[in-house]
Amino acid sequence: MLSEEHLVQKAVNGDQAAFTQLYNQNFDRIHRYIYVKVRSQAEAEDLTQDVFIKALESISSYKWRDLPFAAWLFRIAHNRVIDHVRKQSKEKRASLDEAYAKSVEDPIQMTERNFEVYQLKEAMERLPEAQREVAMLRFISQLSIAEVAKTLGKSEGTVKALQFNATASLRKTLHGKING
Amino acid sequence: MARKLDDIFNECYERIRSGESLESCLNRHPEHAVELEPLLRTALDIGRRASYIQPRPEFKHWSLVRLEGEQHYISQQRQPAKPGLSSLRRSWAVAVAAVLILLLAGSGTVIASSNAMPDDPLYTVKLATEEVKLTFAVTDAQKAQVHIQLAETRAAEVETMANEGKTDQAAITAERFAEELEQASLAMAKMESAMSTAPPSTTTTEPTLTEPPPPTPEEVPPAPPATVTEEQPTPEEVPPAPPATVTEEQPTPEEVPPAPPATVTEEQPTPSKDTKLDKWATQRERFKKSVEESASKSLTALEKAKEKASPQTKKDWQRAIDKIWEKGREREPDKNGTWEWRRNGNGGESNTVNPTPSQPYPSR
Repeated sequence: MLSEEHLVQKAVNGDQAAFTQLYNQNFDRIHRYIYVKVRSQAEAEDLTQDVFIKALESISSYKWRDLPFAAWLFRIAHNRVIDHVRKQSKEKRASLDEAYAKSVEDPIQMTERNFEVYQLKEAMERLPEAQREVAMLRFISQLSIAEVAKTLGKSEGTVKALQFNATASLRKTLHGKING
Repeated sequence: MARKLDDIFNECYERIRSGESLESCLNRHPEHAVELEPLLRTALDIGRRASYIQPRPEFKHWSLVRLEGEQHYISQQRQPAKPGLSSLRRSWAVAVAAVLILLLAGSGTVIASSNAMPDDPLYTVKLATEEVKLTFAVTDAQKAQVHIQLAETRAAEVETMANEGKTDQAAITAERFAEELEQASLAMAKMESAMSTAPPSTTTTEPTLTEPPPPTPEEVPPAPPATVTEEQPTPEEVPPAPPATVTEEQPTPEEVPPAPPATVTEEQPTPSKDTKLDKWATQRERFKKSVEESASKSLTALEKAKEKASPQTKKDWQRAIDKIWEKGREREPDKNGTWEWRRNGNGGESNTVNPTPSQPYPSR
């Protein structure tokens, strides 16, 4: 099995299969990250696709030594979302109907899950910007502390502190809904 | 104190993610257990909720299909980046393609594959044969012609797959159809641009700024002006590099391949330019008509399939329809009458389109 660095290097050199593999490795978490940040499923899908297209267009100039691949990819996603949000008016918000978890066959379970995802988006939106970014990358996209630090250009110590504070804030927001 | 606790919290969170139980981790830090437990449960609960957010399989699949199309496109665009080798490379490609066609044209596999449908094992042979055909297309007119033929083929395949209710295959083929439309439109845009920038008289020595590579065969019209965005998408839509904050660290300026320098070429006087302009205009009209007919045929089939489809798959049929309409919108002429090609930025508009089979394509 190829190491990620080797895989990325192959993609940088134009190996299409290598890029496809990186796509498969990162697609779900990039999509999840974007979905929590935007209003609708359609927006999330379009932006997710945009991120990978941009990554493909830019990968020939990517250097591993400067930034881990995941961090590089999430920076693209982060900036793409910011660009998108700037262009959009803010009058509409995600409705519960647009929430996810549609693959579940049981309609009751699907509704419950959609509601939980909706609550999560709401809770994330209430966090201060710095805490939200850390919580998104860490808990939603499951990046490592080192990757989050690289993505955000912060020290690992700062990221841990932000992560801790974000968790405490999220607990307050979600408390009644988690622990009854 | 807080600093230490955030370290411990992070350590526990990592351990739990690696398979350790919450209780085990709390036992490691009994003095902080009361404080840590609700926070760790919160973090795990967030992860659980986030795990419900999954991309639709159809979207993931489509997205990959589009990405592979982009990969193909980019690799094609990168090939002529070395001017010294491009003509040689093209000659070799044509030679190899010719040999392949001569070797394979009479073979039963190739013949049998010509009628293969997307769900047929021989379909890949059919696509490979089409690639060879494309290799022979040198001028923009030839490229447009081949891509339009391929678009017609794809349209027929979309129709068949849609009539058979094969959502997945119809969707992928609709994507391929849209790609052929895109390529055909690019070639047409170049023709259009060449026409609009063609000099009025038969003699000119005034240099014009064009982009490399310079046109090679005598059939090729003058190189398109910068407004044709095949190789340089509009900055606000598709920047060539990651956004600004990405480029703060990466890539470094010296690592970015320099954009191909604009070169000054001198247009060659062509005595029969007016005749060629007429010919191109006729060709263009024929191509446009063909594209519209193909698209209309595909859209009709997809709309019918969508009507018959189950509620769960209606959205996928609609997406296939939207994809074709997106291409239709993108290839509309701009206010100057030249063909403006822009990649779809966020695609958000696609969901607002509600085409019906009775609408001509594109009808705006």
